[in-house]
Amino acid sequence: MSGAVAQTGVPVQSHVQGRRSSLTRSRIRAAWLFIAPSLIILALIAGWPLARTIWFSFTDADLNSLSDYEFIGFENYLANYDGEWLGLLTDPDWWHSVWNTVWFTLVSVSIETVLGIIVALILNAAFPGRGIMRAIILIPWAIPTVVSARMWNWMLHDQFGVINDMLLRLGLIAAPITWTANPDTALWTVVMVDVWKTTPFMALLILAALQMLPSDIYEAAKVDGVHPVRVFFRVTLPLIKPALLVAIIFRALDALRVFDLIYVLTSNAKDTASMSVYARQQLVDFQEVGLGSAASTLIFLIIALLTVMTLAAGRVRLGEDPR
Amino acid sequence: MADVVLKNVQKSFGKAKVIYGVDLDIRDGEFVVFVGPSGCGKSTLLRLIAGLEDITAGDLSIGGERVNDLAPAKRGIAMVFQSYALYPHMNVYDNMAFGLELAKSSRAEIDRKVREAARLLQIEALLDRKPRQLSGGQRQRVAIGRAIVRDPKVFLFDEPLSNLDAALRVQTRIEIAKLHTDTRATMIYVTHDQVEAMTLADRIVVLNAGRVEQVGSPLELYHRPANLFVAGFIGSPQMNFIECRVAGVGPDEVLVSLPGGGSVSVPVLPHGVATGESITLGIRPDHVRISPEGALTGRVELVEELGENHLLYVDAGQGRRLTVREPGDARHEVGGTVSLDLAREFCHLFKSTGEALPSRVGTTNPAPSSPDLASRAA
Ligand SMILES: Nc1ncnc2c1ncn2[C@@H]1O[C@H](COP(=O)(O)OP(=O)(O)O)[C@@H](O)[C@H]1O
Ligand SMILES: [Mg+2]
Repeated sequence: MSGAVAQTGVPVQSHVQGRRSSLTRSRIRAAWLFIAPSLIILALIAGWPLARTIWFSFTDADLNSLSDYEFIGFENYLANYDGEWLGLLTDPDWWHSVWNTVWFTLVSVSIETVLGIIVALILNAAFPGRGIMRAIILIPWAIPTVVSARMWNWMLHDQFGVINDMLLRLGLIAAPITWTANPDTALWTVVMVDVWKTTPFMALLILAALQMLPSDIYEAAKVDGVHPVRVFFRVTLPLIKPALLVAIIFRALDALRVFDLIYVLTSNAKDTASMSVYARQQLVDFQEVGLGSAASTLIFLIIALLTVMTLAAGRVRLGEDPR
Repeated sequence: MADVVLKNVQKSFGKAKVIYGVDLDIRDGEFVVFVGPSGCGKSTLLRLIAGLEDITAGDLSIGGERVNDLAPAKRGIAMVFQSYALYPHMNVYDNMAFGLELAKSSRAEIDRKVREAARLLQIEALLDRKPRQLSGGQRQRVAIGRAIVRDPKVFLFDEPLSNLDAALRVQTRIEIAKLHTDTRATMIYVTHDQVEAMTLADRIVVLNAGRVEQVGSPLELYHRPANLFVAGFIGSPQMNFIECRVAGVGPDEVLVSLPGGGSVSVPVLPHGVATGESITLGIRPDHVRISPEGALTGRVELVEELGENHLLYVDAGQGRRLTVREPGDARHEVGGTVSLDLAREFCHLFKSTGEALPSRVGTTNPAPSSPDLASRAA
């Protein structure tokens, strides 16, 4: 009797196993079926242009005759003609735009982070009209960048702008300032407009993190008599750090690609050109598709590298869940 | 000296009144338990004492000083929260040390205090762990440790055991009692669990809907509940209540007629009740005896065997259900008819207002306190 059970037991078990693995196989097939459309669309709208741009960066293509080009290897990046180095990597304008972009990213994201934290802390406190304030603060973020940049352009206009007018009336300046044209003020002006526009985004992300915090630990700190400033640095900041890092990464990646704001505020001025502005200029104004593609490819590489680095650094820290 | 005195303390949240004028005099070193059903305002009252909520009206003083407007940190209190309220990103050591770091204590002093508390609570091995790496019981110990290191005059506990499993609850309860004996600090403890209240308290404050129903020692509340609410709340299983009529009034007893036709003469002072009035008779399950010629008869509906004793749920007619606790194993079966005798000296009478009639002078505790309180508490 027991022998029969043992005998039938074996095939039954393997039968179960076989069914389980075929179930897994059909699940995997279904999964592929479901993600295939998005993979195809991604390949079409992101992969193909990217591949084409990288390909063009190795050619001497011209915007006038896009079909008529030759493969020239790395000459768009770096080439040696008769002992003279040429190419993108030797162009001081390119390096200036890289520096502008990095500087803009560091300064604007830092200011936005600090202001975002302050605004979020204020919005997190209970006060009458808090709901309305939360909605109002989002308005700068909701306006399209081109529109808000145009708006600021007018407000910053050296002759008709309201900002110069106010500063003059207050006696803070003696003569109107050409905010966006003056190399000394132009990049700071860009930073200021960007801060105005994206601080709400930072504040909202941080506010969401603040609202996830348990309230009881703040009462415990209150009973223990810990000073609020200390509570902020020792309790709040460490607890919102993961969310804060994500917000900073988001903003930094955005800032590294900055184009519309700078293009509208200062046009093609070399002093304020970002990497994207430089690439557009090569591509469209100078019709140098090859060189512009090389610049675009480098932008892609720089951002990809920074993303991978921040994600790797972030994963180490994010993995260390503070709760 | 850290007595805590509340004079007509009231609290409203906006228009909603939550605490209606509480008067309390908690002596130095006393262990007082606030007990009451969920939502009655226990936590709110404790938070008023802690200073986490503003007092709407009335006076609160700790150690003789009026502290209504004093910040929580200046009141000499420490609080243990129901949710533990540990800092999730700090290890056990830092959780306990964090509150001390500003209190002008030196590093060595802080270290000594933290290690001393850890030793007391047997969490020395856990000092490097984060709260999420601890079990519920260990977290609760850390929370208590954080209170201990502050060396407070008054400990405040808000349902500290309600997130623990039954065995751990008993163990931690004993440790809290020991902490009280060791420190002799004043302790105010909130719970909805009457067993915790009975076992821990020097005095129990029974709260109901923002009002104090009765203040007294555990046995006072058990034996001489001041009203229907306290009688029903203290004691498990709950006291039986039977709607009766007053059949006669003597100088120090009241004769009541039971619904089934029988009657009991209860030795309480009549205090203005008149013959014919309706009145509620209360008697604990331990004092209802099964006897051949009882005042009530009923049908056994349900039997619960607990080993050392058993509970009979008896339907005494018209859906009136009485609980009877008898020692040992049950000798009656579901569906059987039993006759119940009410021990008259253990009967309580409550007027229609809910107020209890005072027991006869002299009979302090219905002497041999047969209700096996100790075994029930465990
Ligand atoms: N911050 C608050 N705002 C408004 N109502 C509150 C607040 N805190 C407590 N209450 C109300 O006060 C009553 C008592 O609450 P609480 O003291 O927490 O009861 P419990 O006895 O269960 O601890 C409840 O009805 C609750 O809804
Ligand atoms: Mg509560």
